[in-house]
Amino acid sequence: MATRAEFLERIRREARRTDGLFTAATATRPARPEEAAEAVRRQMAERWPEALDLFRREFDRVGGVFHRAADPAEVPSVVLEIAREEGATAVVAWDPPVLGLDLRPRLVAEGLAVAVAASDPADETARRRHREESARAQIGVTGADLVLAETGTLILLSGRGRPRSTSLLPDTHVAVFDRSRLVESLAQVGILLEALHVDPARSMSGAMINFITGPSRTADIELTLTRGVHGPKHVHAIFVAAP
Amino acid sequence: MSEGLLNVPFSERAGAALGDRFLQEALTIATTKFIDLRKDSFAGFPEGDALRDQARSIKEATLQKLDVYLGQLADNVERLGGRVHWATTGEEARETILQLCRDRGVRMAVKSKSMATEEIELNEALEKAGVTPVETDLGEYIIQLAHEKPSHIIAPAIHKTKGQVADLISEVAGRRLAADPEVLTAAARVQLREKFLQAEMGITGANFAVAETGTVVLVTNEGNGRMVTSLPRIHVAVMGIEKVIPSMTDLVVFLAILARSATGQKLSSYTTLVRGPRQPGELEGPEEFHLILMDNGRSRQIAGTLREALYCLRCGACLNVCPVYRQIGGHAYGHTYPGPIGILLTAMLRGDESVKELAHASSLCGACKDVCPVRIDIPRMLIELRERLDRQKIAPWAERFAFGTLRRVLLSPAAFRLSSALGRVLQRPFLNNGRLTGLPLVLSRWTRTRDLPPVASRTFRERWKDLQ
Repeated sequence: MATRAEFLERIRREARRTDGLFTAATATRPARPEEAAEAVRRQMAERWPEALDLFRREFDRVGGVFHRAADPAEVPSVVLEIAREEGATAVVAWDPPVLGLDLRPRLVAEGLAVAVAASDPADETARRRHREESARAQIGVTGADLVLAETGTLILLSGRGRPRSTSLLPDTHVAVFDRSRLVESLAQVGILLEALHVDPARSMSGAMINFITGPSRTADIELTLTRGVHGPKHVHAIFVAAP
Repeated sequence: MSEGLLNVPFSERAGAALGDRFLQEALTIATTKFIDLRKDSFAGFPEGDALRDQARSIKEATLQKLDVYLGQLADNVERLGGRVHWATTGEEARETILQLCRDRGVRMAVKSKSMATEEIELNEALEKAGVTPVETDLGEYIIQLAHEKPSHIIAPAIHKTKGQVADLISEVAGRRLAADPEVLTAAARVQLREKFLQAEMGITGANFAVAETGTVVLVTNEGNGRMVTSLPRIHVAVMGIEKVIPSMTDLVVFLAILARSATGQKLSSYTTLVRGPRQPGELEGPEEFHLILMDNGRSRQIAGTLREALYCLRCGACLNVCPVYRQIGGHAYGHTYPGPIGILLTAMLRGDESVKELAHASSLCGACKDVCPVRIDIPRMLIELRERLDRQKIAPWAERFAFGTLRRVLLSPAAFRLSSALGRVLQRPFLNNGRLTGLPLVLSRWTRTRDLPPVASRTFRERWKDLQ
C-alpha cells in the first residue's frame, strides 16, 4: 500500500505534466454561510405559502400523500387515521421532545404499540431493543428538518432522538413539519448545508443527512415501476398549520 | 469476471447479442424509455444547460487541484473518526477490504450498487476469502443470483425477463412465485431485509465525496444504500479518486442534473450524506467507517488523453443514446463499464491494448456528447484512441494497412481519380438494384449485414468540369 504522501505525490507529478487546460472554477460559496442562511429563512418567512403549494404538487407527483393538521395536538389523530387505513398495529417515532409532540397517549389508548427513540445510545441492550421495535413497526413517524418544494423532498438529519431507520425500516413513513422548514430550491438547500457545516458539532448530533423524495422504488424487473423495495412503500407528510 | 467472455472476439460477442431476440427487444424498450424520461425532465428545466456547464467546470477545477481536495477529504474523514486507505491499484483496494474482514471476523457483507467494486471484482475475492457478499440493489441481486454481470450502469438486469427473475427469486424463497414484478420485489424485500439485519459489514461506492466536510454521498432509489450505511457495524466506502468535489455548494449543482440524466427524476428517491461513523448521540449507524481512495490507473490520465473521462458521473445517459449500445447491450463490451464512456474507462483502467476492438464500437455520431451531463467529448477521445492504437501498432495489421492506403489515396488527387475509376469498374459484378451487396473477401463482413451505396457513375469533379 502506498502512503498518503506517495499517493498524493504521484497525482502532483502527473498534474505538473499537464498543459493548455481551460480556466475552470468551482461553485461560488457563500462568504458568510450563517448570514446567507439567515437571509434564506427571512425570504421563506414571506414566501412559504407559495413553497407549500409547490411542495404539495411535487410531493404528489413523486407518490407522496399530503395531510394538514391545524396544530400539533391534531397530529396524533392524523397518524391514527393512516394507521387504520393500513391496518398497522405498531408505530415507532422520534423522541417526543425532538418531534415536538407525543403520540403515545392517543395511539396507545386506541390499542397501538408505540415505541419512541428515547433510549440511551450508550446502552447496548436498549439500542438492540430499539432496532427490533423499528424493524417490527409498520409506521415510522419523524420530523423533517427541511422541506424542499421544487422536488417534493423531505430532508432529515440523524442524531440524538432521531434515528436513521425510523424513516427507513417501516412500510410507511410519516413526516411532520411546519412552515419554518420550507425552502424553494436546491440552491437554497446548498446554502443551508454550508451553514450547517460551519460548526457541525453544534448544529448536528448525528452523522447522516437523508434527502427523501417519495417512496422507495425500483424499475429493475422489465422496467416496471414498483414501490417499497427496501424502504417505505408509502410516504406521508403532515403539515402543521399553527406550530 | 468477464475474462471468460473475453476469450471470444468482440465481433462474436456482438453477433450473439444481435441474434438474441429478447435482448434486442429489452434494449430497445429500456433505452427508448430512458431517452424519453431524460428528455422530458430537461425540457421543463430551462436552467439545466447552464448547470451542466457549471458542473463541467467544477469537475475540471477539482481535477486541477486533485491532490489538495483529496488531502482535505482525508483530513476531515479522519477528524470525524473514520479511517482512510490509499489504494494505488484495484488489488490493494480489494486486499484492504479482505484484511478488514479477517481482522473483524466478518462473515457477511451487504453491498449497495457500486461500479467501483465491480471494477475490482470484489465479490469473487470476498467469496474466496469465505465472506458472503450480498448485492442488495434489486437488479444487482438478480444478476448475482444468476451469476452474471451487470449489462447497464444503472439498470443492471435489463437483459432478464420477469420469468427468469421469477425462477431465480423462487429458488431462494423455496416456493414458486408468480412472474409479477410486484410479487418478486416483495419477496426480494423479505429475503434481503434479513441480510441487512445480519451482516457485519456494509460496502458502498460513492457518487460524490465532499472534501470540505468529509461527506460521502450516495444516490439510490431503493433505499439499500441507506440500509447498508445504517445497520451493519462497519461501513466501507470504495471510491475512485475523481469522485471528490470541493463543497456542499458544488454538490447541489450535481444533484440537480444527475438524476435527471440517469432516470429523468428531479432527484432520486434517496440522497444520503454520510459523515464518518455513528456519533455519540445516535442509536444506530456503524461503529467503524473506512474510506478507500482508489487510483487504479486514474492518475495516469490526469496528463493523459483520457483526462476528460475523469469527469464521468456514471449516469448511463450515453449508453441509452448510443446506436452501438442500443444494438448489442452491455455484456458484449466484455468489461465492467459498457457503452461509449465504458470504452474510455476500460482503456484507462486496463490499458489501450484491452480496447483495440472496442475502440471501433462507435459510429462517432456524437449523441453521447450531447446528453452527457458534464459534456464529456467522448467522440474526440475515441478518435485519439484509435490514432494511438494505430501508432503503437496495437491495431490489427489489416486495419492499419487499409487506413494507411486510404490516407495515401485521399492525399493525392491523381490516386483519388484513379481509384474512383477503378472502383466503377470493379464494383460492376456486385451491383444489385443500385446498391453494392455481397462483396468478396474481407469486405464481405461489411455487406453481410448492410448494403453500400456504389461509386457514382460520374463523380462530382467530372460533373463540375462540365458545368464550367
